[in-house]
Amino acid sequence: MVAAWVFMGTLSFAAPVRAQAPPPGPPVKLGPLDPEAGKALFQQNCVNCHGLDATGEEGPNLHGVPAALGDAAVANIIRRGIPGTGMPSSYILSEQDAANIVAWLHSLDSAPQPAAVGDPKKGEAVYASSGCSACHMIDGIGGDIGPELSHIGAQRGPANLKARLIDPGANLPKPAGGFTGGGGFTQYLLFRAVEKNGRVTEGIRVGEDSFSIVLKDAQGNLHGFSKPELAKLQKEPGKSLMPSFKDTLSSTQMDDLVAYLSTLKGAQ
Amino acid sequence: MKKSLGSVASVALTAAVLAVGVTPHRALAQGITYDRLLKADSTPQDWLMYGGDYFSQRFSRLAQINRENVHLLKPAWMYQPNHTGEAPIEASAIVANGVLYITEPPSTVTALDARLGTRIWSWTPKLPERLYTIGVHRSNRGVAILGDTVYVGTLDAHLVALDAKTGEVRWTVHVDDNNHGYAMTAAPRVIDGKVIVGISGGDVDIRGYIDAYDAQTGKHLWRSYTIPAPGESGSETWGKDMNGIGGGGTWGTGSYDPELNLIYWGTGNPAPDYNGSLRPGDNLYTNCMLALDADTGKMKWYFQFTPHDTHDWDSIQVPVLFDASVDGKPRKLLALANRNGFYYVLDRVTGQFIVGQPFVTETWAKGLDSNGRPILNPDIEPTPKGTLNFPDGHGGTNWNSPSYSPITKMFYVSSREISAYTISGKDRVDFPGFGGGGRITLGGDDAYGAIRALDAVTGNRKWEYKLIAPTEVSTLATAGGLVFSSSDEGNFFALDADTGKLLWNFTVGGTETGANFVTYEVAGKQYLFAASGNSFVAFTLP
Repeated sequence: MVAAWVFMGTLSFAAPVRAQAPPPGPPVKLGPLDPEAGKALFQQNCVNCHGLDATGEEGPNLHGVPAALGDAAVANIIRRGIPGTGMPSSYILSEQDAANIVAWLHSLDSAPQPAAVGDPKKGEAVYASSGCSACHMIDGIGGDIGPELSHIGAQRGPANLKARLIDPGANLPKPAGGFTGGGGFTQYLLFRAVEKNGRVTEGIRVGEDSFSIVLKDAQGNLHGFSKPELAKLQKEPGKSLMPSFKDTLSSTQMDDLVAYLSTLKGAQ
Repeated sequence: MKKSLGSVASVALTAAVLAVGVTPHRALAQGITYDRLLKADSTPQDWLMYGGDYFSQRFSRLAQINRENVHLLKPAWMYQPNHTGEAPIEASAIVANGVLYITEPPSTVTALDARLGTRIWSWTPKLPERLYTIGVHRSNRGVAILGDTVYVGTLDAHLVALDAKTGEVRWTVHVDDNNHGYAMTAAPRVIDGKVIVGISGGDVDIRGYIDAYDAQTGKHLWRSYTIPAPGESGSETWGKDMNGIGGGGTWGTGSYDPELNLIYWGTGNPAPDYNGSLRPGDNLYTNCMLALDADTGKMKWYFQFTPHDTHDWDSIQVPVLFDASVDGKPRKLLALANRNGFYYVLDRVTGQFIVGQPFVTETWAKGLDSNGRPILNPDIEPTPKGTLNFPDGHGGTNWNSPSYSPITKMFYVSSREISAYTISGKDRVDFPGFGGGGRITLGGDDAYGAIRALDAVTGNRKWEYKLIAPTEVSTLATAGGLVFSSSDEGNFFALDADTGKLLWNFTVGGTETGANFVTYEVAGKQYLFAASGNSFVAFTLP
């Protein structure tokens, strides 16, 4: 039971003060940077979203990020988070801690990155022929049932993308924050609502509080329900509106598709 | 202080003869005497103090809003504080003679017409530009009133006395130095001629205490520390070098038994929070209930809930006082649902442990021994990689007030079903850093909340009402057979106090609904008053 919680749980940082930036303090004079200490802190705090090698899991690939944004900006993000995203604030990490993490991320910049092994050009064709755009949008083209993919290559590593193509209902994203104060609610979680007249609606949760829920069905229609008026409301963990491509795509096609998705990094 | 339920009709009658259409601010000039405070539960049209009365039962004898008509409850007015929204509203309102006194984040006091919501006055202290609030919400949980003076603690650790009619400052006391992490967020407790206050900031190396001041002049009367000085009794429960070690904040509001003349006040965690290696021992008197002589501040007894805490399980929850029969004998009791996941009943005369059992899932203790001390499970200590335990650091319940109904004899508490990996970090507080580690909380769909009703004497669960998120909210019980509460997602609702059945709900939509509910009556109408997000809302029947 405990193990199940470990794997299914939302590993988001809940700082002792919720949704509050670190207190303004006096300017801190940083000591010598210690990338090894930064690595240890990264493994304690960041790997669940960014992956053990910082190439991205649920959170983005961080290779090259300090070089692109600047050390101070990245250290600031580590401590303050990015409001409205899954990146939480953490004032248990000191400015020195954050600087050490940035120092370690820098040391990765020159390290070889695990690249997607397939052919992105062929992958684009796989994307087109597999019906993905019925539900997913890239640069404004496609459906809005599933996640928008214009930046997916920056947000997720290749291994993570492949795992989702094989078993879309497993390890659904659980961003910190979310739509309630509790935070960390699973996105794209499928629900089955049964009204007292017997009508059944299946859809992904797009909004919920303790007394109401809004589901989006496979056609993209929204259905709002008052929970006390429902006969039954069930979560359907493991299920997804997206089919598995495990048996419909060959291993090569899968790699090509992952390679294509990995190139989607939005406007640079 | 005993609750007799016979005078509800007479209260209603008194209210009915008041003219509707004019808010009767009748006794503003009379002021709120200590005698009125002692009899707070027999004047339910007012809500005179944190917790409703000295026993902190957060129970109202008002029954105009009741099981039969609560479904008709509608907003009467709203009040939106002019603050940035960075900190949650946490105020527990005071209502005296038709005037509502609330606090707005961070330390503003505002008086409103209780019937209309019209602002009468507002006072905002000039806070220093650099303010240290490590582990402290930049908010405030309410004022206290005595005579015609309103008392508030400010975030920069000043105690301020304001004229209840105008909001003008009568006196200010600099309680402590915010540059060392001391802050004030709790509502003061006033008793006969004294203002009792606690201190916030116990996640850094402060030395916590409870302080008493003369209500007239602000003169300091006594201080009772929560961490003994070297050589004093209890100091042996700490390490030798206290540099970077401390805590024991007192950031809740305590209760009072006038007959015993004892103040009951909970204490917070030791610091650094998640690394206890340089503070070997029980770390008295952190995570304790303290019973203090109201005249001298001398400790009559203590009870420690979580010895040597390494999970941030402050024990500052509101101690609810009630009298009941235990094994056939009438006892004076104190009940507390703790952040550590256990519900406790103590004898409030002696501090003797009577009952304790989990009210939420907890995995750190096998149970409590005959003295109420936890019997620890192995390997619960935080490690650099994290150790998983229920409950998380915010605990089975947090600071938000529970309630007790003398009618149902149940204790109503916001309950959190949530676990976390607790990670050990530095062994000393490195001010202004947060000392000693952190936690990774398993939230979202892996957690949930509930309002639970416990048999107050045994702690056995009578019913629960489930909520999707682990709630940090208050409950309010009334003679109308209702328990009011809220969800973290911004819903207010009413449950049947006997069965937990949902009778009313209203969506405000703002998260952070943790401010304590109160109810009052003005011009013949009962109001329910609560806060969500950036708004205070008063509800009444059509």
